Amino acid sequence: MTVPRDASGALERRIVGFFTALLIAVQIGAFLFIRYAIEQTARNNLRVELDVGERVFKRLLEQNTEQLVEATSVLTYDYGFREAVTTKDRDTILSALSNHSSRIKATGMTLIDLSGLVVADTLRGHAAGSAFTFPALLQRAADTRRASAVRVVEGRVYQIVVVPVLAPLPIAWVAMYFVIDDTAAQDLKRITGLDVTFLSLSTQGGASTLHATTLTGPVRSEAEHSLPRLVPAGPDAPAGPATHAIAGEEFEVLASTLDRQPGTTIAATLQRSMREGLKPYDRLQYLLLALGVVSLAASAIGSIRIARRISQPVRELADAARQIGSGTYASVNPATMAQKDEVGELAQAFDTMSRGLAERDRMRDVLGKVASPAVAERLLAERIELGGEDRLVTVLFADLRNFTSLCETLAPGQSLELLNRYLTVISECIDTHEGVIDKYLGDGTMAVFGAPIARPDDARRALLAAMDIARRIRDLGRDLAAQGLPHPDVGVGINTSIAVAGNVGSPSRLNYTVLGDGVNLAARLEGLTKRYQVPIVAGESTRNAVDGVVYRELDRVRVRGKTVPVHIFQPLALSGSLTAREQDLLAKHHAAIDAYRSRRWSAARDIFTLLATHPDYQRLAEIYLGYLDQAEHSPPGEDWDGVFTVYDK
Amino acid sequence: MNPCPARWTKTDGGRKPVGGARALRWSLSLLAAVALPAAGVVVDVQLKAQDGAPAKDAAVYAVTKAAAPARARREVLIEQIGKQFVPQVSIVQTGTSVNFPNRDPIRHHVYSFSPAKNFEIKLYSGVPANPVVFDKPGEVVLGCNIHDHMIAWVLVVDSPYFAKTDAAGVARLDLPAGDYDVHAWFPGATKQVPPRKLSVGAQAPGVLTFSATSRYGPPGK
Repeated sequence: MTVPRDASGALERRIVGFFTALLIAVQIGAFLFIRYAIEQTARNNLRVELDVGERVFKRLLEQNTEQLVEATSVLTYDYGFREAVTTKDRDTILSALSNHSSRIKATGMTLIDLSGLVVADTLRGHAAGSAFTFPALLQRAADTRRASAVRVVEGRVYQIVVVPVLAPLPIAWVAMYFVIDDTAAQDLKRITGLDVTFLSLSTQGGASTLHATTLTGPVRSEAEHSLPRLVPAGPDAPAGPATHAIAGEEFEVLASTLDRQPGTTIAATLQRSMREGLKPYDRLQYLLLALGVVSLAASAIGSIRIARRISQPVRELADAARQIGSGTYASVNPATMAQKDEVGELAQAFDTMSRGLAERDRMRDVLGKVASPAVAERLLAERIELGGEDRLVTVLFADLRNFTSLCETLAPGQSLELLNRYLTVISECIDTHEGVIDKYLGDGTMAVFGAPIARPDDARRALLAAMDIARRIRDLGRDLAAQGLPHPDVGVGINTSIAVAGNVGSPSRLNYTVLGDGVNLAARLEGLTKRYQVPIVAGESTRNAVDGVVYRELDRVRVRGKTVPVHIFQPLALSGSLTAREQDLLAKHHAAIDAYRSRRWSAARDIFTLLATHPDYQRLAEIYLGYLDQAEHSPPGEDWDGVFTVYDK
Repeated sequence: MNPCPARWTKTDGGRKPVGGARALRWSLSLLAAVALPAAGVVVDVQLKAQDGAPAKDAAVYAVTKAAAPARARREVLIEQIGKQFVPQVSIVQTGTSVNFPNRDPIRHHVYSFSPAKNFEIKLYSGVPANPVVFDKPGEVVLGCNIHDHMIAWVLVVDSPYFAKTDAAGVARLDLPAGDYDVHAWFPGATKQVPPRKLSVGAQAPGVLTFSATSRYGPPGK
């Protein structure tokens, strides 16, 4: 029944643990799901952005080309430029080219005559006099008055614009070069919002060159090797967004071919970093996290409170139950009883039970004090009824001789205290031998053995209790004498008989007791202890019921209100504990009584005279010598039965 | 095949540019030679575009090694009317003065970067004070510096025998008897057709066909 200490709070921990774990699981699940959805959304968004970005990018390139063509056209219409071109002076032409290309921030400019030979070239001075590198552009320009293309020239990628110099018919061609470098890529990134990389791939060797990019750091250096793989191999190769990791960073990449010449392919790749794509959702994730923490805390606090509303009252009730078990009645916390739920109901019920138990216990306690615990038990256990039943009981009366007169010198408080010391010893002796104290009669005590509960050794226990009382009161008397206090002797009468046991009184107030002749006889026998000056007088029925004890026959008496005489005895000791001399004295005593009852007066007188010299037998001897005097003085009739009739109370 | 009596005059009334950007097929046929009372033989030359359509505003000229009389040195006018050169095609003998009266309410800046005559008349209105003398043979392309679309040709030839085609693509030459190289000239053509030999005697010359091999005319838009 001992409760392990760590069990307290287990329910609470379980409730809180369960709900917290559940919430954590739900939240982790939700978080993962949302994260997955976010990633998918971000990826889709990125792909849409890439698609849109690619359109914007291409349109931008077209517009750029258009602008460059227009700018170049306008430039070639410049009168001074045309004049310079017609001078045929190479240096003048070269400086005019430099001057005019710088006007529109071109990287370089080439003048080509109508036969396709380079007149002057600001990028490559040595090219003068040789054929223009891209005759197809001249052809296209001849057809449509303009041509533009992306080409690699000496390791750099250029947007090349070719327009005629009109006067107003073509008199020469101008090729304008605009380099595509990181700055150009940055410009494109500003508008498309995408990372842009320009690459050229050699279709034979597979070698590739990164010409310009907005990527930076390690991603840039790795991009040169990894991005070319994403460029579609041919015009018919499928092209679409691809997920691609560059230097550990995930990118959505869309490759688009700008120019495809035999031997060389120039391509642009548009990239969008997944990390950047996810950035707008970071806030959402933090928000979710915060929400998760808050709801977790709220749930934990809530479940702790709910759990406490259950577990705390349960613990209180358990504590109260333990206290009740150990005999203390703790009232239940009123706040718990006020709780408007099942726990409150339980607390109320428990409180009612506790009060009931306390009431009964108090009753039992009170009963135990005013009545014997055994009687109280029986009274509590059964329905109380008036009336009784016949029982073989042994009744013991113990009384202090001359207590009142001995205590006259004492204050009332002192004498009551003294009385209680005696009664306590007597009560203890009776309790020890499991007798029931029926009542206290002034300085006397009445105890019953055999009611309300009958046991085979009732008489024996009563006899042993009586002997205990005699012994312990003698000891107490010695102590009191030492303190100079009065120390009255005790007299105990004990008798076994059939008596009526039951409740006596009215339904509202009653006593459990035993009534009968045998009970009265026990009281009378107690009174005889004074006459015979012995501590205990037992009736013959008691003597007959208890073996193993050595008795001394005292007399044969007829007490008042009785016609049948009884033998009375004094229990001396347990069998075998008497010395040989004591046994001899006892035998002589019994022999003397036999002689007296068989009218052998002189024989009896001789023995009693002898015994009268012995302190333990002196009083009995005196009594019997008195009987002998009377018998010799006036011999009894034939019907003499040797019985002494007790007339006083 | 019908003989056309009209001679080439400087005012042919056709203001619209000839031909277009479309590729044309040219054919030239020497139609007929009709004896004229005065000097020589009148030769009508038919010029055709690549597609066989009559080539209007093209020119024909004949060059002889024999001494040729100089033509009357009349001043030729190339006007600017409605931001167009009128006429768009002119053919003159070497040494001819050409003036460029501006009939528009706005100014023009006539120029040429052609090797045969590199000149400019900076923004002006009305009739310039000094005409431009075309003293070298060759093709001169004229433009206006402030109106890119304006274009005109002046063909300067070392011969008094030249004519411009009419709406039917026919140019009439009045040639004295002799041996000639007959040239067909298509303005704006990237490649001119080669000349042909023509002997003019008492008899009318046989039919010759000149075929243009490239597009001609002002650049298309």
